[in-house]
Formats: sequence, C-alpha cells, structure tokens
Amino acid sequence: MGHGHHIEIKQEQFVFSPKAKRFAIIMMVLGLVFAGIGIATLKNGETASHHTEATHNAAGTHEEHATAATHEEHGNVPNEKFGPRAEFHNLEKPASTRIWANVLVAGIFFLMISLAALFWYAVQYVANAGWSVAIKRVPEAVMTFIPVPLVLILIALFVDKNNIYHWSHYEHLHLKAGDAGFDKILDGKSGFLNSTMLFAFPTILVTIWYILGRKLRSLSAKEDAGQKGDVSFFKKSITFSAVFAVIFGFTISIIVWLLVMSVDAHWYSTIFGIYTFITHWVTSITIMALMILYIRKEGYLKLVTAEHMHDMGKFMFAFTVFWAYIWLSQYLLIWYAQIPEEMAYYQLRFENYKFNFLLNFFMCFCIPFLGLLMRSAKRNPLVMTIFGVIMIMGHYHDVWFMIFPGVFGPGMQIGFLEVGTFLLVGGFFIYWVFTALTKRGLVAINHPYLEESVYHDTGV
Amino acid sequence: MGILDKNLSIRNRNKMLIGVWEDEDSLMAAASDLVHDGVKIHDIYTPYPVHGLDRIIGVRRSKLARIAFFCAITGFTLVTTMIWYMYVIDWPLNIGNKPVRFAPSWAPVMFEGTVLCTAFGMGFFFFWRNRLVHGIKNELLDPRQTDDYLIIAVETGEGVDNNAVLSTMKKHSPVELREFHHGVQTTI
Repeated sequence: MGHGHHIEIKQEQFVFSPKAKRFAIIMMVLGLVFAGIGIATLKNGETASHHTEATHNAAGTHEEHATAATHEEHGNVPNEKFGPRAEFHNLEKPASTRIWANVLVAGIFFLMISLAALFWYAVQYVANAGWSVAIKRVPEAVMTFIPVPLVLILIALFVDKNNIYHWSHYEHLHLKAGDAGFDKILDGKSGFLNSTMLFAFPTILVTIWYILGRKLRSLSAKEDAGQKGDVSFFKKSITFSAVFAVIFGFTISIIVWLLVMSVDAHWYSTIFGIYTFITHWVTSITIMALMILYIRKEGYLKLVTAEHMHDMGKFMFAFTVFWAYIWLSQYLLIWYAQIPEEMAYYQLRFENYKFNFLLNFFMCFCIPFLGLLMRSAKRNPLVMTIFGVIMIMGHYHDVWFMIFPGVFGPGMQIGFLEVGTFLLVGGFFIYWVFTALTKRGLVAINHPYLEESVYHDTGV
Repeated sequence: MGILDKNLSIRNRNKMLIGVWEDEDSLMAAASDLVHDGVKIHDIYTPYPVHGLDRIIGVRRSKLARIAFFCAITGFTLVTTMIWYMYVIDWPLNIGNKPVRFAPSWAPVMFEGTVLCTAFGMGFFFFWRNRLVHGIKNELLDPRQTDDYLIIAVETGEGVDNNAVLSTMKKHSPVELREFHHGVQTTI
C-alpha cells in the first residue's frame, strides 16, 4: 500500500515508568488510608441497620407510589400465593459486613471488566476486525487480571456471605413448611441459590473463561515469535474466540444471578444479566481507551492514530446509549406492570436512594451522552479522559447501587470505605495490567491484519 | 439554486482535462502531485471508496452530522409536544394510576420520534445535496468509472497551464488522457 505516505512498522517495548508505578502505589496507599478511615468510623459510629422506621415512613409519605400494592410489598403483608416473606434488611448486621460487601463490589466490578476486555478481544477475532490490531495488546493485558478479583469475591463470600445474601442467611435457618418465618419464595429458589452453587459456579466458570483467555494470549505470543505470513495462529485464535464467545455469552448471566441479582433474593429480572454485563462492557472499553491514551502520551504505540481513538470513542458513546436502553427497558416494564414481586428492587432504590438513582442515570448516560456526542470530542484526548473518568466512577457507583441497598436496606451512602476500596483495587489493577503490558512487544508484528490497522481511516 | 440547476451539471462545464487510471495508488500519487502544483481538481470519480483520497484533495467534512443533530432536536420537540397534547391536555387517561406528566412511558415515544425524524431528515438531505432525485440523468465521464476505472477531472481555464497538468498526470502512468469541451471528449 503506497498511499503517498508510508508508515514504518516497528516493534515497540513498553516500559512501566517509575512515575506511573508511583501513581499506582499512591492510589493504593490512598485507598488504604481512606479504607482505614472508613473502617475506623464504622467501629465508632452506627452500624448499617435499624432502618425499620425509616422504611415505613418513606413508603407512607411518597405520593406517586402510594398505592395499596406498594404498601403490601413494604409492610411485608402475607401474600395469598407465597405467604409471608422473611425479613432481611432489618436484621442486625455486624459493622464488618460493610467491609466485605465493599470487597464484593470491587471484586465483581474488576472481574467483569477484565472479562469484558477478554470478550472484546474475542469479538474482534470473531468479527474478523482489522482496525483494532494495533491496540490488541491492551485487552490482552487487561484479561490477565481475571484471577485477582475472583479471589477477592471468594474471600468476601467465604467470610461474610450470610450477612450479604438474604438467601444464604435463610439457608442456615433450615426452616420447613409451616415453621414460623418460612418463606416459600426463598425455599423454592434454594435449588439454585445455595452455598454450593455460590462457590462452584463462579470458580468453575471463571476458570474456564480464564483458560480460554490464556489460550488466546499464548496463541498471540506464538504468532509474535513465528514468521510473517504465517496465519495458522490467527486462524486458531478465531476458533478459540468463537468458542469463548459462545460459552461466555451463555454463562455470564449465571454469575450475575448468583453474585449480584441474588442480593435481592425475592426479586428477579430476566434482563439483569445483560444489564450488568453492559455496565461493565462500556466501562472496560473506557478503561482500555484511557490506557491507550496514556500509553500514546508516553510515546509508545506510534502506530495508533486519532482514527483508532475515534473508534474507541464511538464504542464508548454507542454503549453508553445501549446501557441507557437496557436500564430503561428493565425499569419501564417493572414500573408499568406494578406487580409487587417485581417492584422490590426499584421500590427500595427509588424510595430511599432517589439521589443515587438519578446520579446513576446522569453519570452513566446524560453526561457521557452529551459529552461524547461530537466527533471532535472523541478525537480529543482531554475530553475523552474527562468523560471516561466520569463514566468509570458512574459505573462503579452503578455496581455499588446494585448491591448495597439490597444488603443493607435504606440509609447507606458512598463513604470513605467505598472510595478507599475502589482506589486500592484500582491501583492494584493499574500496577498489574501495566506490568503485564511490559511482558510483550506492543505491536502484534506478525498479525495478518496489522497493515490494515495501521492505515485505518474513518474518513474526513 | 434549484436542485435541477443546469450549472451544477458536468455536461455544461466549459473545459476540463480528464485522466483515467486503473489503480488507486497511481491515481492518489497523481492527485497529490496535482494538488501540490496548485491545480484545482474538479472531482475524482471512483467505483469504490479510496481511503485517504478525501484528505488529499481537501474534501470538506460533511455537514450531515449537524443536520442529523438538528433533525433530532426537531423530532424530539415535535414528538414531546405531541404526546404532551394528547396525553395531558386533550385526553388524559388513568392507566394503572400512573402519572400522566413526563412518565417513563413517554421515553420510548420520545426516542422513536427522535430517531424517525433523524433518519428521514438525513435521508432527505443526503439525496437532496447529492442531487439524487427523480429526473436526474446520470453523468458519467466514462462508463467504466462505475466498474474498475478511476477518473480525475481537472478544471482548466485562465491561469491553468494545460501542458503542465498533462505532464504531471503522465508521470503517473494513466490509461488515458482526454480533453473535455462542452460535453465532448477528445482523447489526447
């Protein structure tokens, strides 16, 4: 391709600069300090319970939803079909539950982000995409983080699952039909929502996905070490990507049901799997875009141009809209049908967390939608960084918002502990991922589509 | 300036020099040389999109995105007004005791109305701007430009040295060079 301008393709070696290392370490230290302050104030201050009265007041005073059905839901009035429901939010919980719930939130967030990066990588192969070859080392580095958050999740579950999950607490009561406090819904779900499943599914599934990810990574390494023009590794990568994409697509929801949706054990939503996935998918793309911006600023990835960044920006923008679409789809149907069983999730969040409810929508949709709408915004590193950071914080808040109200009931708020956990795990993520990035050359030198990617052009 | 304005048609151009190429690499080299010499290129006709060509000949950014934005704003306003009138003023309905003003159930209507106006608006303005309407005759400088040949048309006139243009074109091995005069083409 002699297009008047010729681009020289050279291998590059990324060096994790001491400055960046310092940044990651400062983030971790700050996170530790914040978490420490959070834990200290927890011990001295209130625990996250005693909200029975607040709940009833909130349900009573609100005009829009003051229907008979909502009172039934909130007042725990016996239901003809299912009988009374077990109480959970009002139970006394140790202060340390908040720490483990935070570990769980951070674990889920970073696990799903790493998985989304792997899925993004697989999608590029399955779709036979050429443009993304120049940046494929970045998802390759992010996917190596998968085991770390899995360990975090397993620790949190092992230590405190009975206080985090209602059904887990209920499981240990060993109630039979007719006993006081027997809950027909939780009993009916116990075939899936039980401790064996909780530990088995995430461990087995994430291991399978991770093995497939390692396979893709090693194929890419072999391709680098091989010869120019050898497409056998490329073809194998397509096969493994397709296998991974199918397995992942069918099984990701199981993890989401067990780890996230079962926090509100009486409630379910058929769209929850895709909703949680999309939240992390768009965040993962944002994090990768910010990483590429940083790597380019350091003088590496010379083959990546504004055109590639523009496409990453389009990804961010498009899936911001898709997130809002799924968010509204879930909310709208439940809002319209107004069936008590379906409303538990939104009832709790809308009545007691109105600020967070709106903040979620503004940070994940309104702000990035307007900010990234223009073409020039997607091609401007500063604008991309500003809105990218807002999106990352917004989506972390989204995950927090899925879990915390369900565990603690009304009255929780983002505090030092939440920020600290995010900074601590985030700093470790940066350290880990950029170290993984130094293990290989930054350019997939023998990839058959490298040249197509180098001359990628989205037009005037 | 009507859409069927004859002055916009190539047939009524006075004089042009036409170079025909078989491959886009030589064509792009020729185009960038011509631009470098300060020659005004009327247009380049290719059977498929050639990446980078738009930058070489300085094609301006399409205004379609801006039109899309304004169509979207129009559609959003129109459809919000519509549903406001229908649902709040003209015929309020109590559906499951839901609020009538700015309910979440408005969102799909607002979204669809916005998308509809944007799609139709963009389609209309695209066809209008590119003069793709009923009654337009096709204007091919060469029938092969829709198949496998690529064509550069250079405007000539005062201050343009025809020989210099032709010699620049010749350097990049064109298949043919032609002169265009009031719709008649003569091979050079």
